[in-house]
Amino acid sequence: MFHLTPVELERYRRQIMLPGFGEEAQQKLKDATVLVTGVGGLGGTAALYLAVAGVGRLVLVRGGDLRLDDMNRQVLMTHDWVGKPRVYKAQETLEAINPDIWVDAVFDYVTPENVDELVRSADVALDCAHNFDERNLLNAACVRWGKPMIEAAMNDMEAYLTTIIPGETPCLSCLFPEKPDWDRRGFGVLGAVSGTLACLTALEAIKVITGFGEPLASQLLTMDLARADFAKRRPYHDPECPVCKGARRKDGNAYSSQNVQGEAIAPQILQLT
Amino acid sequence: MAVKVLIPTPLQKFTRDQSSIECEGNSITELLDSLEQSFPGIKARLCDEQGQLRRFINFYVNSEDIRFLDGQNTALQAGDEVSIVPAVAGG
Repeated sequence: MFHLTPVELERYRRQIMLPGFGEEAQQKLKDATVLVTGVGGLGGTAALYLAVAGVGRLVLVRGGDLRLDDMNRQVLMTHDWVGKPRVYKAQETLEAINPDIWVDAVFDYVTPENVDELVRSADVALDCAHNFDERNLLNAACVRWGKPMIEAAMNDMEAYLTTIIPGETPCLSCLFPEKPDWDRRGFGVLGAVSGTLACLTALEAIKVITGFGEPLASQLLTMDLARADFAKRRPYHDPECPVCKGARRKDGNAYSSQNVQGEAIAPQILQLT
Repeated sequence: MAVKVLIPTPLQKFTRDQSSIECEGNSITELLDSLEQSFPGIKARLCDEQGQLRRFINFYVNSEDIRFLDGQNTALQAGDEVSIVPAVAGG
């Protein structure tokens, strides 16, 4: 049933020994493909923790070249790479850290033309892009294909995180039907802040893939890292959402309107095939 | 009645850098007016010209999105915590 090599069993020994994790969860990670859109302080660092956890295939999507002012937070990069396409350095670093996984580098942004193919190839997507256009595209495609999406975003010292499971939870458009103007370089960021959010984002993906722990399904975790204030809130699930109304889970269960005004919604984890 | 309001970073320039303030109001609508009185200019960031809450900002009373409750008419009790969470896209 499990196809973990002796090297993999040794590499991941300290997480396999977690109660409730075991070789079964490790095998699920090995079999999984995770799409990461945006490979900056957030997406790159989340990809790092998925790589060392043994996610079998990572697909990194990011256009643009590395800038010197990225270096305070983009831990997959090296100083000599400034001016070159960052997604290839991310791929190289991750493959060097863990040669047992596959890393695909897509030197592009998320576009209407490529989003469906990217999402279809993945089991889970991490929404770590630095603008709302890419985030909206990824959200709609994940709903269309019934793929879980981890929504993670930050501004200055604040951040939020939620796990979107189409047909079960609110989608990004339920949370925010409209988006404000956004200047992707108009805010400050400490690497430890994007990195904190990135670790939590990677953890959500691991939970969704393995069934280990409880992901933030229908829960919005907000954090003010200037004060180490964390809170969980219940985000609105819009029964008339133009993006996810009628969305279905991958197993074909119809969206249930009972969930909209219900009490606590029991998180149901998508079983990955 | 006094409620606690959590102010996100982009709006703290209106609140003299305070991230948490005490404010009066029996409903969200009253709270918005009360905020504007104490911190002129803040309401235009939260509401459109018709006074409707902007759709890229969530209001939570304690942990519930007010769209689950009564929207802008949601009643407030003394000691409630109102948090304002705008859509952000930093990655």
